[in-house]
Amino acid sequence: MRPIPPGLRKALVRVAMALAAVALIFGLWNLVIVVFDLKPYALPTPQAAVAADADNWSVLAGLTLQTVEETAYGFFIGALVGFLLGVAMSASRTVQRLVYPALITSQAVPIVAMAAPLVILFGFGMLPKLVIVAWTVFFPVVVNVLDGLANIDPDLIRLSRAMGARPLRGFIHIRLPATLSPLFSGLKIGATYAVTGAVIGEWTASAQQGLGTYLQTANASLDTQGVFGATILLTAIGVASFLAMVAAESLATPWRTRTTARRGLRLRTGFSAARPRPAYPSRHKIGE
Amino acid sequence: MVEDVTCRFEGTLALDHLSLEVDRSEFVSIVGPSGCGKSTLFNTISGLLRPACGRVMLDGRDVTGETGHVGYMLQKDLLVPWRTVVGNIVLGAALTRGVTRRDREEAEALATRYGLGDFLHHYPHALSGGMRQRVALMRTLALHKDVLLLDEPFGALDSQTRLEMQMWLLSVCEDLNATILFVTHDVDEAIFLADRVVVMSGRPGRVLEEIPIPLPRPRDLEALTAPRFIELKRQALGLLHGAGSEVPT
Ligand SMILES: Nc1ncnc2c1ncn2[C@@H]1O[C@H](COP(=O)(O)OP(=O)(O)OP(=O)(O)O)[C@@H](O)[C@H]1O
Ligand SMILES: [Mg+2]
Repeated sequence: MRPIPPGLRKALVRVAMALAAVALIFGLWNLVIVVFDLKPYALPTPQAAVAADADNWSVLAGLTLQTVEETAYGFFIGALVGFLLGVAMSASRTVQRLVYPALITSQAVPIVAMAAPLVILFGFGMLPKLVIVAWTVFFPVVVNVLDGLANIDPDLIRLSRAMGARPLRGFIHIRLPATLSPLFSGLKIGATYAVTGAVIGEWTASAQQGLGTYLQTANASLDTQGVFGATILLTAIGVASFLAMVAAESLATPWRTRTTARRGLRLRTGFSAARPRPAYPSRHKIGE
Repeated sequence: MVEDVTCRFEGTLALDHLSLEVDRSEFVSIVGPSGCGKSTLFNTISGLLRPACGRVMLDGRDVTGETGHVGYMLQKDLLVPWRTVVGNIVLGAALTRGVTRRDREEAEALATRYGLGDFLHHYPHALSGGMRQRVALMRTLALHKDVLLLDEPFGALDSQTRLEMQMWLLSVCEDLNATILFVTHDVDEAIFLADRVVVMSGRPGRVLEEIPIPLPRPRDLEALTAPRFIELKRQALGLLHGAGSEVPT
């Protein structure tokens, strides 16, 4: 048998562990049903819930897509707003003192309470739902970006000043990269919140069908299999969003996991248009 | 070069009417007790800090409080973790005018020349302490300034690596024509590298004594144990520890 390369092997082990975790949860779920002798209408088995999803997939596919769209768009809007707010707030103490209390207040307002005014403002379309999702996502992003920008080594700022750095270049090359890791911490939290935001949005401010509204209907008709089927799908969306952020993070911050720069990134330092000079043959063929 | 500089931090007097003249291409080591204001002096020369009074003159030009005139290597290596070795060396260009192909090629040539050819595209976390220090120094060299301020560049290294780095710096200096101000706690290092050793007093910092180092160049390990070296060392140590009787006159 050919030996498996260590990188692939590591990845396989991690996938196996994740699957084992899911299996464990499903096992416990079954155990609870057996031990407490629960009837299927009270708590269906996860297999039954998944099977219900599969049977009903022709309907559910469209609903899932709808909810995924709300989650994704709302997440991006929230992340962008959060990032820009964080940067703006870090630029000026006055802005920060002014805006921070407002941010905290915004999170204390029950989202459900905002639904009615949002619907009155924006109607029953996509927009109020996106606002609700973005509303839940932007807060952890702002807080983490602010922390990241505040915690940059002051000596690094001093060094860049001593080098005569231009403000914009200093921002791009020092402050921005230093914010990436905390930014992704915020994005990971936000990604898991986003689905909940989408469901609340569908319940309170929607005429369109999505997994959230499906969940509501199933609940009203005591269709517990449908309820758990939808819940499993929603959970899967949340987990997938989180994993997408983990993947994006490892792409965006290669220095945290890699020893050498990726090949494609190596030439980046020399992108300018100056003529190639044969006197100095440039080399970039160093092994990993 | 530095005239009559005084610096205060909220009540603490860090530098007290300190004056220091440095010739072109001279290597001056600065020693002094911890907290005597050596880093403060460098912050002043580099323009990061505006002195309460006094001026910083560079080639007859008043540059007090202006940054970007000298190459300054701070007490920590401060490599940015998201840039590779080459990326870190060209940081100065990236922060001021944008990196050109030429900058990158020069950085690669520098790194290759000084023993980091196999690590051009490594991230700093994958380098040893000595390598990081070398990269930080190359980054300072790549700024192409006539004056370099090096604040305890080898402070964090073990004595073996430290000695290697000192030899390396000597060889760099031979290639270079820069004026270098070098802060260290190590009297051996100060004498081994410099044309002149400036001994500073405890806080508030003043120049206590300037010791010319007439040891011939190029210097090698032999120089460290030469009788002349020992004599200079005794003089410097005597001044540093305030024991006037030990100072041979
Ligand atoms: N930002 C600051 N705010 C207040 N006091 C400061 C500041 N920077 C330095 N000082 C004070 O100024 C004095 C000189 O500090 P400096 O860092 O220049 O000393 P140093 O000679 O470089 O010491 P070391 O050898 O330990 O690096 C110290 O007493 C320090 O407490
Ligand atoms: Mg210091």
